[in-house]
Amino acid sequence: MRRAFALPALALATTLALSACSGKATDASGGGGSGGVQVGPGVTEDTITLGAFTDLTGPFKLLSEGVIAGHEMWRADVNAGGGICGRQIEFNIVDHGYSADTAVVKYPQLAPDIAGFIHLLGSPINAAIDPKITEDELTAVALSWSSFILDTPYVIIPGTTYDLEIINGLSYLMEQGMIADGDTVGHVYIDGEYGENGLLGTQYFAEQHNLDLRPVKITSRDTDMSDIVTSLRGAGATAIALTTTPAQTRSVLNTAQGLRYDVPVVGNNPVFDPTVLDLPAPALDNLFIVSSSTTFASDVPKAQEVAQTFNEQYADAPPNSYVPYGYAIGLIWQQILERACENGDLTRAGIQQAFRESDSITTQNLVADLDFSVPGAPATREVYISTPDTNVPGGQRTVTDLFKAPEAETYVAPHQPTN
Amino acid sequence: MTEFLQLTVSGLGKGAVYALLALGFVIIFKATDVVNFAHGSLVLLGGYVVIATKDILGYAGAAAVGIAAAGLGALLVERLLISQSKLADPISLVLLTIGVDVIITEEIIRRLGVTAPFLGGPLEGAPLRLGNIVVFRPQLIALIVGVVLITAFFLAFRYTGWGVAMRAQAENREATALMGIRSSWVTGSAWLVAGLLAGVAVLFIATQDFSGAGLGRGTHAIALAAFPAAIIGGLDSTGGAVLGGVIVGLTEAYTAGYISFDFSESAIYLVMLLVLVARPVGLFGTRELSRV
Repeated sequence: MRRAFALPALALATTLALSACSGKATDASGGGGSGGVQVGPGVTEDTITLGAFTDLTGPFKLLSEGVIAGHEMWRADVNAGGGICGRQIEFNIVDHGYSADTAVVKYPQLAPDIAGFIHLLGSPINAAIDPKITEDELTAVALSWSSFILDTPYVIIPGTTYDLEIINGLSYLMEQGMIADGDTVGHVYIDGEYGENGLLGTQYFAEQHNLDLRPVKITSRDTDMSDIVTSLRGAGATAIALTTTPAQTRSVLNTAQGLRYDVPVVGNNPVFDPTVLDLPAPALDNLFIVSSSTTFASDVPKAQEVAQTFNEQYADAPPNSYVPYGYAIGLIWQQILERACENGDLTRAGIQQAFRESDSITTQNLVADLDFSVPGAPATREVYISTPDTNVPGGQRTVTDLFKAPEAETYVAPHQPTN
Repeated sequence: MTEFLQLTVSGLGKGAVYALLALGFVIIFKATDVVNFAHGSLVLLGGYVVIATKDILGYAGAAAVGIAAAGLGALLVERLLISQSKLADPISLVLLTIGVDVIITEEIIRRLGVTAPFLGGPLEGAPLRLGNIVVFRPQLIALIVGVVLITAFFLAFRYTGWGVAMRAQAENREATALMGIRSSWVTGSAWLVAGLLAGVAVLFIATQDFSGAGLGRGTHAIALAAFPAAIIGGLDSTGGAVLGGVIVGLTEAYTAGYISFDFSESAIYLVMLLVLVARPVGLFGTRELSRV
């Protein structure tokens, strides 16, 4: 009788154990309990795994490596402090090489085992896997700053957006007396989500200040900007806005210098990378880069701390402004996960809820304070402005503290609620 | 007026490079009746060899080796592939050149990785100023080198035995063979010269002042932009190739400056279509006569 009872009991216990395991691995919303906290994919009793879907072999390799170095330094700090919710942070880093096709193929290998994306790099990649992210309820930090993508509830933009960057940048030029109401201003922008989002900002600023806006659409493959700059000089443009690649920025600055066309050039954060520094200094002096994050060589105390750690641990790696940005993204995730832990829910749905409840994320001024509680609205409107400087590590020198232009305050982003 | 002159200078500088490339298309077509779509990859090959040898040989030595490599690469394509396919349909040979182009281009891009290095050297530097007009060095030197090389080519084409053999073979291959002229020597030398011109062209293309981009896919795309130049001038006309190059350079500059940048690329093809409608064989192409 005892043996007859024991066998079904063993079978029942085994079934329960197996179903608990499979629930952890695949159930995106329900999850199992662990230490009083509901858990979902990517979360165990000891670890929380975040994915990085990034570009380690393509055109944004330097950017990705900088961001990941920042992530790793944050991870070391947070794990040394006991982790989050009693769990150590782990990363699963997958390279898509900036190819949407590759990203679609590799996404299923990555998605089932992570709690969210610590970063997801690239507008075309975002566009390609956006439906899957929504379906899988994966909260993701997008390394793409287009306000067009804020209609996806699972996307975190860790800072302000391209349209607001340009508005703030032009406002800075006006405040400095470099442009005035009624001036002619050119805007060279890449056809697509990135460029068109930047152009929204210029159009809004031009309306506010009666500017004669001369937009010039290019493709990401174009690299020779000489005829464009010649044309803008002929039109009497007193400033040029850029929503371009670094190679295109270099061509604009080089041509302007050759033509002795001495006008300020203001650009979104991706217009700069260290290759721009190859130009002679006078060409660089006119460039102003608008960004949500501070620079590597910034005097913000947390940035200095990050820079020091980076110099100790990555002595051979080139520093850039994405290193402190990578650390800031870690801090953003930390606060979201801690809130989810307080809510007792580390499932994907729980993480998403914690993200939406986060209205005062702070990164010690690596990035402005962020409010994610209004779906569709940029999380901040504040920016830093920097200029190229070959004498400082990372090649960028911050020229303003965090600030928000009055025009940035009144601008309504594409998916922002208006009431 | 300043803007017009500036755009004209820019267009002529680029036109000179397009002319060198278009001349390569035409020389090969005249010698072998093949439209060589591997020309872009020969441009890349020359540039890659310059990059690979610059640190060892210095710029001048590397440039010479790069030009030679592009010429040798073209000669090898002709000797190993084209000459072995004498009975092949011309369309098959065109497809063959496309295959060669893909293989060479992808291998060089793979070797370059994420870098797109500038060839640099003396071509980069402070531009020259003529009053309000600025002439960037690569454009000026391209113009001078283009004029010198094209003049030298035309003199050789007209007055040397090689030129006579080339022209004779273009007119009538069988009769030329009966006259004792070795066809393989003519075709091989045509590919070699075209490759050398491609090797020269890349020295200008992969510079900051000319294209704004280092060696990479963009270089290949610029090289292929010379194809409409060859068509506009007439695929079997060397003089037409030069004129076609200048037309393409100026069209690109004027449309980018006065109409819109994104129209400039399609404007080149629009001009090509208009020319082909008016003269189906290009401005200076030979009208094909057929007995009825």
